Amino acid sequence: MASILYIEDEREIGEWVTRDLTERGYQVTWLTSGEQAEQHARQADVAVLDVMLPGLDGFSVGKRLKREAPDLPILLLSARSAVEDKVEGLSFADDYLTKPFHPEELAARIEVLLRRTQKVEDVLTLRHLRIRPKSMQIIDTRTGEEIVLTGKQYHLFQYFLRHLNQILTKEQLYEAVWGEPYIEGDKTLMVHIRYLREKIEQDPADPQIIETIRGIGYRVRR
Amino acid sequence: MRRLFRSLQARYMLIILTALILMQVGYLVLSIAMSFGMDMEPAVSASDVEAEWHEAAGSLTEVSADAIRDLFARWKARFPEASMFWVDGDGVLREQTEGREGELPAIWTSVSTAQFIKSRYGGDPFTVIAFVGEGGRGGFVVIEIPRFVFDPPINQVYQQYGTWLAIGMIVLVVLFILISYLFFRRIRKRLMQLQEAMSIRDVDGLPVSIELSGKDEIGQLEQSFNDMVLELKESRSREQREEQLRRELIANLSHDLRTPLTKIRAQAYTIGKQEVSDEGRRAIEALERSVVNLDRLIDNLMSYTLLMAGRYKYDPQNTDIVRLVKEHLATWYPLFEQGGIEVDADLQPVAQGEWRIDPLWMGRVLDNLYQNVLRHARSGRYIQVATAATKQYDAIVVSDHGPGMRSGQSEEKGAGIGLSIVDRMLRGMELDWDIQSDEQGTTITIKRYRK
Repeated sequence: MASILYIEDEREIGEWVTRDLTERGYQVTWLTSGEQAEQHARQADVAVLDVMLPGLDGFSVGKRLKREAPDLPILLLSARSAVEDKVEGLSFADDYLTKPFHPEELAARIEVLLRRTQKVEDVLTLRHLRIRPKSMQIIDTRTGEEIVLTGKQYHLFQYFLRHLNQILTKEQLYEAVWGEPYIEGDKTLMVHIRYLREKIEQDPADPQIIETIRGIGYRVRR
Repeated sequence: MRRLFRSLQARYMLIILTALILMQVGYLVLSIAMSFGMDMEPAVSASDVEAEWHEAAGSLTEVSADAIRDLFARWKARFPEASMFWVDGDGVLREQTEGREGELPAIWTSVSTAQFIKSRYGGDPFTVIAFVGEGGRGGFVVIEIPRFVFDPPINQVYQQYGTWLAIGMIVLVVLFILISYLFFRRIRKRLMQLQEAMSIRDVDGLPVSIELSGKDEIGQLEQSFNDMVLELKESRSREQREEQLRRELIANLSHDLRTPLTKIRAQAYTIGKQEVSDEGRRAIEALERSVVNLDRLIDNLMSYTLLMAGRYKYDPQNTDIVRLVKEHLATWYPLFEQGGIEVDADLQPVAQGEWRIDPLWMGRVLDNLYQNVLRHARSGRYIQVATAATKQYDAIVVSDHGPGMRSGQSEEKGAGIGLSIVDRMLRGMELDWDIQSDEQGTTITIKRYRK
């Protein structure tokens, strides 16, 4: 069970979030001010911080927490929506969510942070594939056989897995995997995606894992 | 007085004044000397010489070569510049002083004598012919003395030292030019250094204070520059303080408005998790939507206020517009997908694809346009984001199949402020835009005229 350190001075919001996250199966430690936050930093898997706190503001508390536990992912919860505030917050925090937020979104973002620090189970299931992202072992569950990818296919697929559910444009993919600027009309990426699909898709003509988003790019969805 | 001589103007005036005084004084001294010298009698006069020569020649008792040589020697001692010769009673040239050999006829006839007298009359050298001995038995002696010997002494000084005087004057003028040149060169050098120092910028982009190089006019200029730098820095820090205050005000306002919204949402969510009637569920959904819309409105209002006050941070960069629009659309795609809206992306490369815009501003513009589609044109179930081009411009076109803006059927009003922000930001990025809306849908075209 993942443990969440939650700091929020508004009683009503605090109660609501604590209840919701507890119902979702997290162990929540809720503090109404940032003063004692550092003592709980080491036990927590993720910290959720309100920016407008009495006494020490959320930015200072967050920076202190990072000093105490550098690996602790921090999600800032704030009513400030200005770009400057977000930029300042993200200079040390890992995510930034503005109020009024939806509990589903908060939970989803916490999940992402936990996954990034590998605090959740290290196995990903996509259709008929079972993937261990760290070792990049891909098992076809229908046959139980391992699928072996070539270097570029491996990098490409790993990039998709790191950006699950996101639509990635051809430019983004090409530049991330090949490390060079994408030139309009270049077919290299399409060719590699075709090969990758031939290896992992059940029916490469009707791909289910790597979706084509027409006119924009590709997406791998959970 | 010391303060006066700190001034460059005073110093230069001093140089000019010194030069003028030196010249004037020199001229004055020369004039006085000259007028004084002109008045002075020469050491010897021509008439005296004439009389004395007659007397000396006439009083010779013995006419012999020795006596004549003796006479010549005495006069030569007195007038070193003079030359003399003796022609005896037979017209034979007998004696002459050195330096005139061969110039004079050896035999003097009455004609040659008359010619000689004629040529020398009133001329230079001053010539006196005197008969030797009583009755002119011994012929005649002639003395020739250059006329300058009878000039006033000042003329003689002029003749001897005139060149030096001219050189002295030239040296004086050259010295004056040299001092002036050095004086101005130093000023120029300091001005150049000042100009260089003025162009140095600090990390904050403001000029840095400079070290004072003196107390003269340039020093005062440097002082004024430093004062100006100080004022600039103060003004910048005042601006930053105001900026900070503004940010805090907005942050507090934002907090005060959004905290109750969060609470409303929390309550609605809590109620929604319980058993409620269909009507209750619809009410909760409406509540949810209102929260989202209100939040959006708060955000737009604040952005609009900042934009109107010219306080919205603008950081233009050369941006690949097609790529920006594509990547931005990728982030919105899931929301359209969720709302059951078909996305038709037709983003082709354009002729001048690099636009000088702030990517965040453009993102905000597109956010507002997509938001409007989601909120007001959901019923059309379609959005197209495309590139377009004419001869004059490249464009990004966002169109939907919604009920149109003037139909009044959209779920809520409020697109107005969002579009005002779009308008402000596009104008701010020097882009043009137009909107066409009817019951078939709305098309918004963002144009960039080719340069």
